[in-house]
Amino acid sequence: MTQTQIEVDAELDARGLSCPMPIVKTAKAMKELAPGQVLKLVATDRGSVADVPAWCTTTGNELIEQHEEGDAFVFHLRKGA
Amino acid sequence: MAEKLVVMVTHGTADPELATIPFAMAGAAIASDVEVVLGFQGDGCELVRKGVAETVHADEFAPLGDLLETIQEMGGQLLVCSPCMKKRGLTEDDLVEGAEIVAAGRFVAEVTSATNSLVY
Repeated sequence: MTQTQIEVDAELDARGLSCPMPIVKTAKAMKELAPGQVLKLVATDRGSVADVPAWCTTTGNELIEQHEEGDAFVFHLRKGA
Repeated sequence: MAEKLVVMVTHGTADPELATIPFAMAGAAIASDVEVVLGFQGDGCELVRKGVAETVHADEFAPLGDLLETIQEMGGQLLVCSPCMKKRGLTEDDLVEGAEIVAAGRFVAEVTSATNSLVY
């Protein structure tokens, strides 16, 4: 599956936010979704590259993919059951 | 929230970075479904005096006021050392919303019942 084929249910723009706000906002955004739905997250904090996968593991959500776009880090997360 | 993290804060406004890091860790923990207790001792008590957190912003970190607001909103506990407050002339009315005055016995109870604790 390539990133352009992922269906997104919600998007979160966390560009410009510093640690730990990208995962704080992600946690809040995921609360609004139903299990199985997908959140697209865009962040510029370099720490989010490691933070988002760790957060997914801790909270039981799935990191579908992550990639860079220019100076931004893009993540697709699927809400766990 | 099966996991519980206690984070002790002992640095105040004189060291914005070490004042902010415990709040950042607490914010990340709450976002990760971990129960959080922030304990304030020594100069750390300054940070829960009304109006102070908003004035602290370490470079490259989220502003302390935003972090405190997040922690309050998401149910983190704020426990403040009673003798440390007295030494600084602080009373209950000076504290931010939700802060609770405690002493060593309560800190011990929190730390011994936590999954882990961090001291800054």
